[in-house]
Amino acid sequence: MATKVVMPQLGNEIEEAQIDSWAKAPGETVTKGEMLLTITTPKLTMEIEAPASGTLREILAPADEIAAVGAVLAIIDEA
Amino acid sequence: MPKSIPVKPEAFRAPGVLSFPDVPLHAYQRTLAEERKALGDAALKNVLRHMMILREFETMLGAIKARGSYQDIAYAYKGPAHLSMGQEAAAVGAALALAPEDHIFGSHRSHGEFLAKGLSAISRLGAAELRSIMESHQDGRLLRTVAAHVPVSPVLGLAENFLLFGLLAEIFMKANGFNGGMGGSMHAFFPPFGAYPNNAIVGASAGIATGAGLRKKLAGSRSIAVAMSGDGSTGCGPVYEAMNFASMAQYRTLWTEGRRGGLPVLFFFNNNFYAMGGQTIGETMGWDRLSRIGAGMNADAMHAETVDGTNPLAVADAVRRKRALLLEGRGPALLDVECYRLGGHSTTDANVYRTKEEQAAWEALDPIATFAARLVTEGIMAQHEVDAMKAGVEAGIAAVLKAVANPDAAPAVDIAGDPVLIGRLMFSHAEIPVPSGETRLLAAPETSARIRQDAKKSRSGLGPSGERLSAMRAITYRDGLFEAILHHLIHDERLIAYGEECREWGGAFGVYRGLSDIIPYERLFNAPISEAAIVATAVGHALEGGRSLVELMYGDFLGRAGDEVFNQMAKWQSMSAGSLKVPVVLRCSVGSKYGAQHSQDWTALVAHIPGLKVLYPATPFDAKGLMASALSSEDPVVFFESQRLYDTVETFHPEGVPQDYYRIPMGEPDIKRTGRDVTVLTIGPSLYPALAAAQELEQSSGLSLEVIDARSLVPFNYDPVIASVEKTGHLLLVTEASERGSFAMTLASNLTRFAFGHLKSAPRVLGSPNWIVPGADMETTYFPQADDIIQIVTSDMHPVRHSNRRGIRNWAERLMARNAL
Repeated sequence: MATKVVMPQLGNEIEEAQIDSWAKAPGETVTKGEMLLTITTPKLTMEIEAPASGTLREILAPADEIAAVGAVLAIIDEA
Repeated sequence: MPKSIPVKPEAFRAPGVLSFPDVPLHAYQRTLAEERKALGDAALKNVLRHMMILREFETMLGAIKARGSYQDIAYAYKGPAHLSMGQEAAAVGAALALAPEDHIFGSHRSHGEFLAKGLSAISRLGAAELRSIMESHQDGRLLRTVAAHVPVSPVLGLAENFLLFGLLAEIFMKANGFNGGMGGSMHAFFPPFGAYPNNAIVGASAGIATGAGLRKKLAGSRSIAVAMSGDGSTGCGPVYEAMNFASMAQYRTLWTEGRRGGLPVLFFFNNNFYAMGGQTIGETMGWDRLSRIGAGMNADAMHAETVDGTNPLAVADAVRRKRALLLEGRGPALLDVECYRLGGHSTTDANVYRTKEEQAAWEALDPIATFAARLVTEGIMAQHEVDAMKAGVEAGIAAVLKAVANPDAAPAVDIAGDPVLIGRLMFSHAEIPVPSGETRLLAAPETSARIRQDAKKSRSGLGPSGERLSAMRAITYRDGLFEAILHHLIHDERLIAYGEECREWGGAFGVYRGLSDIIPYERLFNAPISEAAIVATAVGHALEGGRSLVELMYGDFLGRAGDEVFNQMAKWQSMSAGSLKVPVVLRCSVGSKYGAQHSQDWTALVAHIPGLKVLYPATPFDAKGLMASALSSEDPVVFFESQRLYDTVETFHPEGVPQDYYRIPMGEPDIKRTGRDVTVLTIGPSLYPALAAAQELEQSSGLSLEVIDARSLVPFNYDPVIASVEKTGHLLLVTEASERGSFAMTLASNLTRFAFGHLKSAPRVLGSPNWIVPGADMETTYFPQADDIIQIVTSDMHPVRHSNRRGIRNWAERLMARNAL
C-alpha cells in the first residue's frame, strides 16, 4: 500500500512552503515518526515526520521547490 | 534548533528540600586599628571629610529650601530636595571601595552618592587625568568659572570645588550645571567620575544599571555597575525584573566561553526603613530583612548581606568583597545597607510618623559624629582637627553657594534668548557611519538556510507579467527588516539584540529566523518575559556605549514597560543636555486577529512622549531602509511593524527591495500615488485600503487621490503634505489607531494650521472607533476599509460625483460622537 507525504496545513494563512532538504533518498527505508524532510514557511522552519514505515518510493517535490499546502511531496510504499 | 538543555522529568520529580545559603547580618568585625593598618590615616580622615561634605552640602540645601538662606547667603530655590542626611556612611563607604571606572546609578535621593563617588574618583585619579576631565567638560568653561569664583582651601581643592559647583548649579538648574540645567536635583550625574544618571523614578536605576553591567561584560571592562536605590524600591516590579535579568542562568550556561559568568551588577539598597508613608519592615513589605529577597533570585542568594550603614568602613568592606565577586563573574550581588534618614522624605515631610525615641536612638548612631569620635579615640585625629575640618567644610560649602547664587558665575538657562534651546536637545539627529567592521560569527551568513532561501527570491513583488508574487517567492517586509538587522549585527560589535523569543524561535513573526545560526548567543539572546527589564537594560547598555535592538513582540505590551519607555529611553539625552546618547531601537509589532489586548496601534502613546522617534513603515522597501536608519540613529527609536504586513511584497519600486544596504531618512513622508483631487495621508497599513480606494475611485468616478504614506511620525516633515493639500484642497487622514487622541488627529490639527488657506473642506480623520478591537471576523467593521474612504471622499469632499458606496462606518455623526470619538 502506498502512503502519500503531503504538505501540511501550517496555519490558516500559509498557502505554500519551500522544501529545505530531504533526510532520505528514494529507495531508502523510512520508519513512521522519523524526520523525513524540513520545510520553511515565511515565518518558520519545521521538520516533517514520515507518516508511515516502508520504502521511500519517489520524491515529487525536491529540495528548494515551493509546494502548495496539500501537495503530494513524496510516496512511501508501506512494508 | 531545539534547546541544548533538556527538561528531564527525573531531574525534577525526586523528593527533597530546597536549602538556601546563609545570609550574613552585620558580620563586619574589624577593629579601627586593623582598618588603620590597611587603609592608612589619610584615607580614614578622607572618609570623615567626605561624609562632612555630604552632610554640610545637604544642610545647606535644606536651609535654602526652608529659609531661603544659608550663612547669610540668600537664594530662592523652587525645586525638590530629597535629602539623605544620616545616610552618609553608606554613600561614602560604597564609594571608598569603588574605582573611578565603576559606575553608580542612583535615585531621587542621591546627592550624597553623587558627591561621594565624585570625591572618591577625585582622590583616586591622577592630577593630569583630573585636569583633562575638567578641561574637556564644557570646553573648560566650568573649570575656569570655578577657579575664578570659588577659593581653594586646605579642606577643599579645585577639583572638589568643581564637583560641588557643578552639582549645585545643576540642582539650581543653571546653564553651567553638570547637565546644562536640564537634569536638576534628582537627575544629576557626571560620567567622568563614574556618577551615572540618578533617577527620579523609584527603583528605575536597577534595570539601567543591569544594562550597564551587560555592556561592561560584553566590552570586557574590568569594572562594575551599581544600582543604588532604597528599601522602598523592593516594592517595585521592575526592580525584581532587573535582579532576575542580572541573574539569568544563560550567562553561565549558554554564553560563549570567554563571555561566560554573571553580570557585574551590585544592587545596593539604602535601607532607611521608610518608603513615603509606609514602613517597609512590619507594614508594607513581606520581608523581615531586605537581604532575604536575594534568596529568591538565584542559588547564590545574590551573595546577599545586611550591613551596618552607619559605619562607612563596614559598607566599604562589603562593597569591596562584592566587587571582587562580580569581577570574578559571580554576580549579581545584593547589599542591604541599613541606615537612617535623619530628616524627612522631602522638605515638605512633616515627619509625623516616627517617634521621638526612635529618632533619638538613631541620632545617637549618627555616622559622622560616631566616626569622628572613633578617629579621636584611636588617636588618628585630635578633636581640634575634627573641628577645623568641619569649619573648613562649612566655609567651602558657603563659598560654593555664594558662587552659584551669583548669576555672573552661574547664569540661568537663557530660554528667552533661545526659545527652542530645549527643543534642540531632544534629539541629536546624529547617525553612525555604515557599519563595516568584522564581528565573531558562529557561521558564515551564506550558510544560513534563511539567507540562501531569500537569495532565490525575487527582489520585486511583481512577476514578469505584473502579477503579485507570494511571500515564498519575493522579498517581504519581514525579509527587508531582516536584511537591515543582519547587516548591523554582522558589522557592528556594539549592537546586541534580545527579546522574549529572539533566538531559536526566530522572533514571534519570523523576522529573526536564521539569525541564531550566525550570531553568537551573547549578541542575540532570549530575555525573560520582563518588558520593563528588556527596555531598561537596553537603555543602560546604550548609555555605556553599546547599541541595543530590543523587541516587545506586541505593541500592546508597552504598558508593561511604561516607565522604561516613557521616562528612561525617552529622557536621558535631553536631561543630559545632549551629552548622553541613547541608541536604542524598540521594535513593537502591531497585531491583528487576536482581539482587544493584541491588536492595538499605540503609536500615539509614544509619539506623545518627548524624546522618542517613532517609525511605522508599510512596505518592504521602507521597512529595510528605515530599520537601517533606526539602527544607525544615536537617538532612541520606537519602530512599529504591522503583523498584517510581514508577508507583504514590494510593489512600489519597480526594481524591488535593493539587495545592498541603504537608509531612508527618518521624518520623510512618501507619496505612494500621485493625484489631484484629495490628499490621503496614511499611517502604517492604512496605506493599502487607501490605495484600493484610489484605484476604485479613479475607475468609477475619475477622482484622483494622492496617497501619502507617513512612514515616520516623529520626526515628521509637513512640507510634502502641505504641498499636496495646496494642489488638492482636501485632506483625509487614515489610521488604524483609535481616533481619539491618535497621531492622525495631531497631524490633522497641525495641517489645518499650516495649510488652512488652501483647504476647501474640513480635514477628516478616519481611524478606528474608541472601543476594543473586536474578534478576527469583525475586524473589517473596526479598522478603516476602502469603502469608508470612498464614502468620505464622495460624500464630504467631492459630493458632485456622489457614489452609492457606503462604508460600514456609515454612522450618524452624533451617534458616533457619543459612542466612539
